[in-house]
Amino acid sequence: MSDITVFRARKIVTMDPNCPEATHVAVQNGHILSVGGADCGDQWGDVTHDDSLADTVLLPGFVEGHAHMMAGAIWQYAYAGFHDRVDPDGNLAQGFTDLNAVIQGLSDYAKGLPKDQPLVAWGFDPIFLPDERMNKSHLDQISTDRPVAILFSNFHLMCVNSKALELAGYDQGTNVEGVIKGPDDRPNGELQEMAAMFPLIRRLGIDFSNLSLRPDAIQHYAKVAKQCGVTTVTDLFSELTDEALETLLRTTGDDRYPVRLVPAMTAIGGTPTDVAKQALAYKAKSTDKLRLGAVKIMTDGSIQGWTARVKWPGYVGGQPNGLWNIAPDQIKALCREMHKSGVQMHIHVNGDEASEVVIDALAEAMREHAWPTHRHVLQHGQMMGVDQFRRCAELGLCVNLFVNHIWYFGDQHAALTIGEDRARRMDACQSALDAGVTLAIHSDAPVTPMGPLFTAWCAVNRITMSGRTLGEAQKISVQDAIKAITLGAAQTLKMDDEIGSIETGKRADFAVLDANPFDVDPLTLGDIKVLGTVLGGTLNLV
Amino acid sequence: MKIAPLPMTVISGYLGAGKTTLINRLLSEDHGQKLLVMVNDFGSINIDEKLLASTEDDTLTLTNGCVCCTMGADLYIAIGKVLDRTPRPDHLIIEASGIADPVKIANAAKAEPDLSYGGIITVVDAQTIETLSTDVMIGAQINGQISAADLIVASKTTVLSQKMSQCIRALSGVELVVANATDSLAPLVLGSHFANPFPPHASGHPDYVSWSFQGNVVLSRRQLDHLLACRPTTMFRFKGIVQGPDETAWIVQVVGNQVEITPTTAREKTTVVAIGVHGNITTEEIKDWWSTCENGAH
Repeated sequence: MSDITVFRARKIVTMDPNCPEATHVAVQNGHILSVGGADCGDQWGDVTHDDSLADTVLLPGFVEGHAHMMAGAIWQYAYAGFHDRVDPDGNLAQGFTDLNAVIQGLSDYAKGLPKDQPLVAWGFDPIFLPDERMNKSHLDQISTDRPVAILFSNFHLMCVNSKALELAGYDQGTNVEGVIKGPDDRPNGELQEMAAMFPLIRRLGIDFSNLSLRPDAIQHYAKVAKQCGVTTVTDLFSELTDEALETLLRTTGDDRYPVRLVPAMTAIGGTPTDVAKQALAYKAKSTDKLRLGAVKIMTDGSIQGWTARVKWPGYVGGQPNGLWNIAPDQIKALCREMHKSGVQMHIHVNGDEASEVVIDALAEAMREHAWPTHRHVLQHGQMMGVDQFRRCAELGLCVNLFVNHIWYFGDQHAALTIGEDRARRMDACQSALDAGVTLAIHSDAPVTPMGPLFTAWCAVNRITMSGRTLGEAQKISVQDAIKAITLGAAQTLKMDDEIGSIETGKRADFAVLDANPFDVDPLTLGDIKVLGTVLGGTLNLV
Repeated sequence: MKIAPLPMTVISGYLGAGKTTLINRLLSEDHGQKLLVMVNDFGSINIDEKLLASTEDDTLTLTNGCVCCTMGADLYIAIGKVLDRTPRPDHLIIEASGIADPVKIANAAKAEPDLSYGGIITVVDAQTIETLSTDVMIGAQINGQISAADLIVASKTTVLSQKMSQCIRALSGVELVVANATDSLAPLVLGSHFANPFPPHASGHPDYVSWSFQGNVVLSRRQLDHLLACRPTTMFRFKGIVQGPDETAWIVQVVGNQVEITPTTAREKTTVVAIGVHGNITTEEIKDWWSTCENGAH
């Protein structure tokens, strides 16, 4: 038997109803041996007491059920967003609230760059800025001899300076959709969609695939997770290859790697049968810190981009219905094959028509093949109503709702996309719980910053950026919200036998906090300071 | 010297429309070009064993120099990698996924200086188009693929019924060919200088009309613009190098309605080729049009 360490805390919130609170937890071999008072480990033999966490509050390590690995490595570029963010090293990146601040901030950033290196920034979102729209003349103030490219937060648009336009060969003669022109008939610096951005992406060496599945990207991602108390994090659109798998195994296999990583393989390329076979082959390679075997399936676009597939009455501005990324027939074929082969699916559905098509497809797949413990997850599920949650409950489907949207885009949804009524019941956490559906909530980082306590705050308060409450009836309790970022999310990953609560037999994964979420004003839930994590009994302070 | 831009053609069409069949044909037809074809998966790519030079994980290499590879999750990264290849292929063909908007992909060819726009070819299953076209879920996206096309290839029939053709014509007025009634698709799809204008399996009269010219024609940019503006609307493809005044020259690439003119280094002569669908245009019409510049009418 190896050593037993008994950690003492100011309070331990276990999320185990049999012993909801404790002060001590005994850990052996990376697992929880017992939970209770100072003597909780004594029954098992000699113990070592560790008081280094005595002033802290321990919760089960948070589980981020929907995020992307690039949330770490994207910080190799300058941040140009509106909101304050924290980088992987824990430094505050101040948000820019007007164009002048963007110009000033990025000019300062450029001073630290080698002379021949382009300035690339990310996270810009004009929707929050009061000024005129950004154009090349603003960015020429940062530099006229260094290419400058500012990626918008949705990664579908960018704005560049004159030097960058020159590099791409864009001039008065350019007549390409997405290369936006100013009143003088010359490109004004704004480039919309990937095709128009391609020449610059290529020439500036912005390779999004480099932001994932490389050793440094995997490390950065773990830092992001650790900062916010996450001990298990998904990478929900992972372009896994044999080579990438080797890198993942090597990097996560290091004892010091502080997080359990759950990549869901991108289900594109190859027939559904090939995809299923590949997923199962990867599943067999899983370790305690790298969980493989699930797939991610895209269906529609985004609500704020008007590309989500929505049911009647559609978008308030009269925009045409959104776009399928894969056709409903293909969705059906994939659902059937994955379900038949025993491959768990995480399925992106933003609009309510997309969630309906997926529920139909899964219901059909389930009539053909019995697999009661599938736990397929509808991801985002932003417009799902009670009827769809009821069907999810009947079919054993889980949901992972994108509740951060209420704060970031709630006002826009009410005013510009789906209107007041449906915005009120967006990300309907309470309806999901009422229907008995397993619930997780998420950030979709880097789309919004990873931070389960903030996500829980959103679900509890449903306050938008303008300060209003959007959907009083869908607010959930602190208890339910904390469950959704721990045990609930663990259930969606089929890992609740190992993680998600602090109870005997599970892995010793904890979030280390400076306050008890159940003691603070629910309005300040998101402000609780994360001091670090414990992974398998190993302390990782921030 | 700057390398000439690589022509990129997008093959679009719904699931099961016949994109792969078209790709199989392009890979095996005798067009003398080294194609690089990017497909979503190898599932139905069916190359005669005798034509296969090598097979790797994500790449098939043919004895005729053509290459077929899978694109992975990021199409644009894959295109970037093709541009970094040495030597570059003669023509890049991209198979769009079943529901994709081909315009979004083809726009990269217009935007990227190292690529030239080789057109959007939409394959339409003649048997299902009427149903798909009005489908509430995907009709709009299917119709979008058809209206975006520079050339429509009808599949799964030898004759287009009036209803089928009406359905397509309601969405697009571009050139329309029936794959099963066409011996050689490469000239229209690729605009290729074909090695042999009468492939051995051809039925005697080709399905396309071609015309080429090499000579000492010199045109200013303004003259060239004007000439192209007056081109016969049924001249589907026109490409080549046109000499300009004072040691200048232009690479011209015309596909359907799309005209691309890029400066290049001066050459000995003006060399151009034009292709159209047999029955819609004659070589005489092309010659007459071209002679307006030869005669110095501008």
